[in-house]
Amino acid sequence: MQEFKDIQSLWQSHSVEVKISSGEMLEQAKKEVNAIRTKSLFNIGGMVGSFAAISATLLYFDFNSWTTTLGIGIIILAVAIYTIILYREHLLISKNDFTENPGIFLGKLRQYQLSRYNLYNKLYWFYVIAISLGFILFFLETLQNLGSAMQLSIVMFTVLWMAFCATILRKAFIKREKERIDLLIEKFERIDAQFKGQ
Amino acid sequence: MDQKDILFKQIFDTNSKKIFHLCYGYTGDADTANDLLQETFLKVWQNLDKFRQKSMISTWIYRIAVNTCLTYLRTEKRQAKDELTDSIIENRVEEFSEKNEQVALLYQSISKLEENDRLIITMVLDELPYNEIADISGISEGNLRVKIHRIKQKLTELYNQHARI
Repeated sequence: MQEFKDIQSLWQSHSVEVKISSGEMLEQAKKEVNAIRTKSLFNIGGMVGSFAAISATLLYFDFNSWTTTLGIGIIILAVAIYTIILYREHLLISKNDFTENPGIFLGKLRQYQLSRYNLYNKLYWFYVIAISLGFILFFLETLQNLGSAMQLSIVMFTVLWMAFCATILRKAFIKREKERIDLLIEKFERIDAQFKGQ
Repeated sequence: MDQKDILFKQIFDTNSKKIFHLCYGYTGDADTANDLLQETFLKVWQNLDKFRQKSMISTWIYRIAVNTCLTYLRTEKRQAKDELTDSIIENRVEEFSEKNEQVALLYQSISKLEENDRLIITMVLDELPYNEIADISGISEGNLRVKIHRIKQKLTELYNQHARI
Protein backbone atom coordinates (compact mmCIF):
# COMPACT_ATOMS: atom_id res chain seq x y z
CA MET A 1 0.00 0.00 0.00
CA GLN A 2 1.57 3.27 -1.14
CA GLU A 3 0.99 6.72 0.34
CA PHE A 4 0.84 9.90 -1.73
CA LYS A 5 4.34 10.93 -0.61
CA ASP A 6 5.71 7.63 -2.00
CA ILE A 7 3.98 8.36 -5.30
CA GLN A 8 5.45 11.86 -5.26
CA SER A 9 8.98 10.62 -4.67
CA LEU A 10 8.50 8.07 -7.47
CA TRP A 11 7.42 10.91 -9.79
CA GLN A 12 10.39 13.02 -8.83
CA SER A 13 12.82 10.14 -9.23
CA HIS A 14 11.67 9.63 -12.81
CA SER A 15 14.01 11.86 -14.74
CA VAL A 16 12.88 13.04 -18.12
CA GLU A 17 15.12 14.16 -20.90
CA VAL A 18 14.30 17.06 -23.15
CA LYS A 19 15.70 16.07 -26.49
CA ILE A 20 15.53 19.46 -28.12
CA SER A 21 17.47 22.67 -27.64
CA SER A 22 16.01 26.17 -27.87
CA GLY A 23 17.71 26.76 -31.22
CA GLU A 24 16.58 23.46 -32.70
CA MET A 25 13.06 24.09 -31.51
CA LEU A 26 12.57 27.31 -33.40
CA GLU A 27 14.37 25.92 -36.41
CA GLN A 28 12.03 22.93 -36.53
CA ALA A 29 8.93 25.07 -36.27
CA LYS A 30 10.14 27.25 -39.11
CA LYS A 31 11.08 24.28 -41.29
CA GLU A 32 7.50 23.33 -42.16
CA VAL A 33 6.73 26.80 -43.45
CA ASN A 34 10.02 26.94 -45.30
CA ALA A 35 9.23 23.64 -47.05
CA ILE A 36 6.11 25.18 -48.60
CA ARG A 37 8.04 28.33 -49.53
CA THR A 38 10.81 26.30 -51.16
CA LYS A 39 8.32 24.20 -53.10
CA SER A 40 6.57 27.31 -54.28
CA LEU A 41 9.93 28.77 -55.39
CA PHE A 42 10.82 25.57 -57.29
CA ASN A 43 7.45 25.77 -58.99
CA ILE A 44 8.17 29.33 -60.10
CA GLY A 45 11.71 28.35 -61.13
CA GLY A 46 10.33 25.56 -63.33
CA MET A 47 7.89 27.94 -65.00
CA VAL A 48 10.60 30.55 -65.61
CA GLY A 49 12.78 27.79 -67.11
CA SER A 50 9.94 26.74 -69.44
CA PHE A 51 9.36 30.37 -70.41
CA ALA A 52 13.04 30.80 -71.29
CA ALA A 53 13.22 27.51 -73.22
CA ILE A 54 10.08 28.21 -75.28
CA SER A 55 11.15 31.79 -75.96
CA ALA A 56 14.52 30.50 -77.15
CA THR A 57 12.83 28.49 -79.91
CA LEU A 58 11.63 31.76 -81.45
CA LEU A 59 15.16 33.15 -81.37
CA TYR A 60 17.10 30.11 -82.57
CA PHE A 61 14.72 28.52 -85.08
CA ASP A 62 13.50 30.04 -88.26
CA PHE A 63 9.84 29.20 -88.68
CA ASN A 64 8.11 29.86 -91.98
CA SER A 65 4.49 29.84 -90.94
CA TRP A 66 2.76 32.50 -88.88
CA THR A 67 0.76 29.75 -87.16
CA THR A 68 3.93 28.43 -85.48
CA THR A 69 4.90 31.88 -84.21
CA LEU A 70 1.36 32.48 -82.98
CA GLY A 71 1.26 29.04 -81.32
CA ILE A 72 4.56 29.62 -79.50
CA GLY A 73 3.41 33.15 -78.62
CA ILE A 74 0.23 31.81 -77.01
CA ILE A 75 2.18 29.20 -75.04
CA ILE A 76 4.69 31.84 -73.86
CA LEU A 77 1.88 34.16 -72.81
CA ALA A 78 0.07 31.41 -70.90
CA VAL A 79 3.26 30.36 -69.13
CA ALA A 80 4.10 33.99 -68.28
CA ILE A 81 0.64 34.70 -66.83
CA TYR A 82 0.70 31.48 -64.84
CA THR A 83 4.19 32.32 -63.52
CA ILE A 84 3.07 35.79 -62.42
CA ILE A 85 0.09 34.27 -60.57
CA LEU A 86 2.42 31.75 -58.89
CA TYR A 87 4.77 34.57 -57.89
CA ARG A 88 1.94 36.62 -56.38
CA GLU A 89 0.89 33.60 -54.36
CA HIS A 90 4.44 33.07 -53.22
CA LEU A 91 4.54 36.65 -51.93
CA LEU A 92 1.55 35.88 -49.70
CA ILE A 93 3.54 33.43 -47.62
CA SER A 94 7.07 34.75 -48.06
CA LYS A 95 6.47 38.27 -46.80
CA ASN A 96 5.16 37.22 -43.42
CA ASP A 97 7.12 35.79 -40.55
CA PHE A 98 4.91 33.56 -38.42
CA THR A 99 7.13 34.03 -35.37
CA GLU A 100 6.36 37.76 -35.45
CA ASN A 101 2.62 37.65 -35.90
CA PRO A 102 0.95 34.24 -36.15
CA GLY A 103 -2.53 35.78 -36.53
CA ILE A 104 -1.63 37.67 -39.71
CA PHE A 105 0.35 34.73 -40.99
CA LEU A 106 -2.61 32.41 -40.48
CA GLY A 107 -4.82 34.79 -42.48
CA LYS A 108 -2.27 34.85 -45.31
CA LEU A 109 -1.98 31.08 -45.23
CA ARG A 110 -5.75 30.73 -45.65
CA GLN A 111 -5.65 33.25 -48.51
CA TYR A 112 -2.81 31.23 -50.07
CA GLN A 113 -4.79 28.01 -49.80
CA LEU A 114 -7.85 29.56 -51.47
CA SER A 115 -5.71 31.08 -54.19
CA ARG A 116 -4.00 27.72 -54.83
CA TYR A 117 -7.40 26.06 -55.02
CA ASN A 118 -8.54 28.54 -57.70
CA LEU A 119 -5.27 28.17 -59.55
CA TYR A 120 -5.61 24.41 -59.85
CA ASN A 121 -9.30 24.49 -60.67
CA LYS A 122 -10.81 27.39 -62.67
CA LEU A 123 -7.57 29.00 -63.84
CA TYR A 124 -5.94 25.71 -64.69
CA TRP A 125 -8.50 25.02 -67.44
CA PHE A 126 -7.79 28.39 -69.09
CA TYR A 127 -4.13 27.45 -68.98
CA VAL A 128 -4.79 24.03 -70.55
CA ILE A 129 -6.96 25.56 -73.31
CA ALA A 130 -4.31 28.17 -74.13
CA ILE A 131 -1.49 25.60 -74.17
CA SER A 132 -3.53 23.20 -76.33
CA LEU A 133 -4.36 25.94 -78.82
CA GLY A 134 -0.69 26.93 -78.88
CA PHE A 135 0.39 23.35 -79.58
CA ILE A 136 -2.19 22.87 -82.34
CA LEU A 137 -0.93 25.98 -84.14
CA PHE A 138 2.69 24.95 -83.52
CA PHE A 139 2.14 21.44 -84.91
CA LEU A 140 0.56 22.71 -88.16
CA GLU A 141 4.00 23.59 -89.53
CA THR A 142 6.41 21.50 -87.53
CA LEU A 143 4.73 18.16 -88.17
CA GLN A 144 3.89 18.59 -91.84
CA ASN A 145 7.12 17.00 -93.14
CA LEU A 146 6.84 13.92 -90.92
CA GLY A 147 5.15 10.64 -91.83
CA SER A 148 1.55 10.04 -90.78
CA ALA A 149 2.52 7.47 -88.13
CA MET A 150 4.99 9.88 -86.57
CA GLN A 151 2.50 12.75 -86.71
CA LEU A 152 -0.13 10.63 -85.02
CA SER A 153 2.29 9.41 -82.34
CA ILE A 154 3.42 12.95 -81.45
CA VAL A 155 -0.12 14.29 -81.34
CA MET A 156 -1.32 11.29 -79.31
CA PHE A 157 1.57 11.58 -76.87
CA THR A 158 0.90 15.32 -76.39
CA VAL A 159 -2.82 14.78 -75.88
CA LEU A 160 -2.30 11.89 -73.45
CA TRP A 161 0.38 13.76 -71.51
CA MET A 162 -1.84 16.82 -71.12
CA ALA A 163 -4.80 14.66 -70.13
CA PHE A 164 -2.65 12.91 -67.54
CA CYS A 165 -1.47 16.27 -66.12
CA ALA A 166 -4.99 17.69 -66.07
CA THR A 167 -6.56 14.69 -64.35
CA ILE A 168 -4.49 12.26 -62.26
CA LEU A 169 -1.46 14.47 -61.61
CA ARG A 170 -3.50 17.60 -60.91
CA LYS A 171 -5.86 15.82 -58.52
CA ALA A 172 -3.01 14.15 -56.64
CA PHE A 173 -1.20 17.47 -56.40
CA ILE A 174 -4.28 19.32 -55.14
CA LYS A 175 -4.94 16.61 -52.55
CA ARG A 176 -1.37 16.57 -51.25
CA GLU A 177 -1.08 20.32 -51.11
CA LYS A 178 -4.45 20.69 -49.39
CA GLU A 179 -3.49 18.15 -46.70
CA ARG A 180 -0.19 19.90 -46.12
CA ILE A 181 -1.64 23.39 -45.82
CA ASP A 182 -4.57 22.11 -43.73
CA LEU A 183 -2.14 20.62 -41.26
CA LEU A 184 -0.20 23.85 -41.09
CA ILE A 185 -3.35 25.94 -40.70
CA GLU A 186 -4.58 23.63 -37.95
CA LYS A 187 -1.29 24.02 -36.12
CA PHE A 188 -1.34 27.81 -36.39
CA GLU A 189 -5.00 27.94 -35.41
CA ARG A 190 -4.09 26.13 -32.23
CA ILE A 191 -1.28 28.57 -31.59
CA ASP A 192 -3.47 31.57 -32.42
CA ALA A 193 -6.32 30.38 -30.18
CA GLN A 194 -3.82 29.95 -27.42
CA PHE A 195 -2.69 33.59 -27.67
CA LYS A 196 -6.26 34.76 -27.44
CA GLY A 197 -6.66 32.65 -24.32
CA GLN A 198 -3.73 34.32 -22.56
CA MET B 1 22.89 36.30 -30.68
CA ASP B 2 20.62 39.17 -29.62
CA GLN B 3 19.22 39.89 -26.16
CA LYS B 4 15.92 38.13 -26.83
CA ASP B 5 17.67 34.96 -28.01
CA ILE B 6 19.87 34.89 -24.90
CA LEU B 7 16.89 35.44 -22.61
CA PHE B 8 14.90 32.77 -24.40
CA LYS B 9 17.76 30.30 -24.10
CA GLN B 10 17.98 30.93 -20.36
CA ILE B 11 14.22 30.54 -19.95
CA PHE B 12 14.20 27.35 -22.02
CA ASP B 13 17.11 25.80 -20.13
CA THR B 14 15.55 26.61 -16.76
CA ASN B 15 11.99 25.54 -17.48
CA SER B 16 11.94 23.03 -20.32
CA LYS B 17 12.45 19.96 -18.14
CA LYS B 18 9.55 20.81 -15.82
CA ILE B 19 7.28 21.68 -18.72
CA PHE B 20 8.20 18.48 -20.52
CA HIS B 21 7.39 16.51 -17.37
CA LEU B 22 4.03 18.27 -17.15
CA CYS B 23 3.23 17.46 -20.78
CA TYR B 24 4.48 13.90 -20.32
CA GLY B 25 2.31 13.48 -17.24
CA TYR B 26 -0.65 14.78 -19.17
CA THR B 27 -0.22 12.72 -22.34
CA GLY B 28 1.88 9.78 -21.19
CA ASP B 29 3.64 9.84 -24.53
CA ALA B 30 7.13 11.26 -25.04
CA ASP B 31 6.60 12.28 -28.68
CA THR B 32 3.35 14.12 -28.00
CA ALA B 33 4.90 15.70 -24.91
CA ASN B 34 7.76 16.87 -27.10
CA ASP B 35 5.31 18.44 -29.59
CA LEU B 36 3.48 20.19 -26.77
CA LEU B 37 6.76 21.39 -25.29
CA GLN B 38 7.72 22.88 -28.64
CA GLU B 39 4.35 24.54 -29.06
CA THR B 40 4.57 25.98 -25.55
CA PHE B 41 8.00 27.49 -26.06
CA LEU B 42 7.10 28.76 -29.48
CA LYS B 43 4.36 30.78 -27.78
CA VAL B 44 6.80 31.87 -25.10
CA TRP B 45 9.15 33.12 -27.81
CA GLN B 46 6.38 34.96 -29.63
CA ASN B 47 4.99 36.61 -26.50
CA LEU B 48 8.17 37.27 -24.60
CA ASP B 49 7.97 41.00 -25.32
CA LYS B 50 4.43 41.09 -23.95
CA PHE B 51 5.33 39.45 -20.65
CA ARG B 52 4.63 42.12 -18.01
CA GLN B 53 6.31 40.56 -14.96
CA LYS B 54 2.98 40.58 -13.09
CA SER B 55 3.65 36.98 -12.15
CA MET B 56 6.74 34.83 -12.09
CA ILE B 57 7.92 33.83 -15.54
CA SER B 58 7.68 30.14 -14.60
CA THR B 59 3.99 30.67 -13.66
CA TRP B 60 3.39 32.35 -16.99
CA ILE B 61 5.06 29.47 -18.86
CA TYR B 62 3.14 26.87 -16.87
CA ARG B 63 -0.10 28.65 -17.73
CA ILE B 64 0.78 28.55 -21.42
CA ALA B 65 1.72 24.86 -21.14
CA VAL B 66 -1.50 23.96 -19.31
CA ASN B 67 -3.61 25.73 -21.93
CA THR B 68 -1.59 24.15 -24.71
CA CYS B 69 -2.20 20.67 -23.29
CA LEU B 70 -5.92 21.28 -22.85
CA THR B 71 -6.40 22.92 -26.25
CA TYR B 72 -4.36 20.22 -27.96
CA LEU B 73 -6.48 17.33 -26.79
CA ARG B 74 -9.75 19.17 -27.29
CA THR B 75 -8.87 20.30 -30.80
CA GLU B 76 -7.68 16.88 -31.79
CA LYS B 77 -10.69 15.28 -30.09
CA ARG B 78 -8.34 12.62 -28.85
CA GLN B 79 -9.29 9.91 -26.46
CA ALA B 80 -6.32 10.62 -24.31
CA LYS B 81 -7.03 8.04 -21.70
CA ASP B 82 -7.09 5.06 -24.06
CA GLU B 83 -4.14 6.19 -26.12
CA LEU B 84 -2.20 6.87 -23.00
CA THR B 85 -2.52 3.44 -21.56
CA ASP B 86 -1.41 1.77 -24.78
CA SER B 87 1.51 4.05 -25.40
CA ILE B 88 2.79 3.77 -21.85
CA ILE B 89 2.76 0.01 -22.05
CA GLU B 90 4.48 0.04 -25.46
CA ASN B 91 7.09 2.53 -24.33
CA ARG B 92 7.97 0.67 -21.24
CA VAL B 93 8.17 -2.90 -22.57
CA GLU B 94 11.76 -2.65 -23.69
CA GLU B 95 13.09 -1.15 -20.49
CA PHE B 96 11.37 -3.42 -18.05
CA SER B 97 12.46 -3.10 -14.47
CA GLU B 98 10.63 -2.82 -11.19
CA LYS B 99 11.06 0.93 -11.05
CA ASN B 100 10.01 1.45 -14.64
CA GLU B 101 6.99 -0.68 -13.98
CA GLN B 102 6.06 1.55 -11.04
CA VAL B 103 6.54 4.68 -13.16
CA ALA B 104 4.35 3.17 -15.88
CA LEU B 105 1.71 2.43 -13.25
CA LEU B 106 1.89 6.00 -12.05
CA TYR B 107 1.38 7.43 -15.54
CA GLN B 108 -1.43 4.96 -16.10
CA SER B 109 -3.09 6.11 -12.87
CA ILE B 110 -2.69 9.79 -13.79
CA SER B 111 -4.28 9.06 -17.17
CA LYS B 112 -7.45 7.90 -15.40
CA LEU B 113 -7.97 11.32 -13.85
CA GLU B 114 -9.97 14.14 -15.42
CA GLU B 115 -8.04 16.44 -17.79
CA ASN B 116 -7.80 19.39 -15.37
CA ASP B 117 -7.06 17.17 -12.41
CA ARG B 118 -4.25 15.56 -14.36
CA LEU B 119 -2.55 18.91 -14.87
CA ILE B 120 -3.09 20.04 -11.28
CA ILE B 121 -1.68 16.86 -9.79
CA THR B 122 1.33 17.03 -12.10
CA MET B 123 2.14 20.45 -10.67
CA VAL B 124 1.57 19.18 -7.14
CA LEU B 125 3.91 16.27 -7.80
CA ASP B 126 6.48 18.81 -8.99
CA GLU B 127 6.01 20.69 -5.69
CA LEU B 128 4.82 23.95 -7.14
CA PRO B 129 3.51 26.27 -4.41
CA TYR B 130 -0.27 26.20 -4.05
CA ASN B 131 -0.65 29.91 -4.76
CA GLU B 132 1.20 29.43 -8.03
CA ILE B 133 -0.98 26.46 -9.04
CA ALA B 134 -4.06 28.53 -8.17
CA ASP B 135 -2.77 31.33 -10.38
CA ILE B 136 -2.01 28.97 -13.27
CA SER B 137 -5.27 27.03 -13.10
CA GLY B 138 -7.48 30.02 -12.33
CA ILE B 139 -9.00 28.42 -9.22
CA SER B 140 -9.16 30.19 -5.85
CA GLU B 141 -6.62 28.90 -3.37
CA GLY B 142 -9.31 27.70 -0.95
CA ASN B 143 -11.06 25.66 -3.62
CA LEU B 144 -7.77 24.43 -4.93
CA ARG B 145 -6.73 22.97 -1.57
CA VAL B 146 -9.97 20.98 -1.39
CA LYS B 147 -9.56 19.89 -5.00
CA ILE B 148 -5.94 18.84 -4.51
CA HIS B 149 -6.85 16.83 -1.43
CA ARG B 150 -9.48 14.97 -3.45
CA ILE B 151 -7.16 14.39 -6.44
CA LYS B 152 -4.38 13.11 -4.19
CA GLN B 153 -6.78 10.59 -2.64
CA LYS B 154 -8.06 9.53 -6.05
CA LEU B 155 -4.58 9.12 -7.49
CA THR B 156 -3.34 7.12 -4.50
CA GLU B 157 -6.40 4.89 -4.75
CA LEU B 158 -5.94 4.37 -8.49
CA TYR B 159 -2.25 3.66 -8.10
CA ASN B 160 -2.83 1.07 -5.39
CA GLN B 161 -5.64 -0.50 -7.39
CA HIS B 162 -3.37 -0.88 -10.44
CA ALA B 163 -0.50 -2.13 -8.29
CA ARG B 164 -2.65 -4.97 -6.99
CA ILE B 165 -3.61 -6.21 -10.46
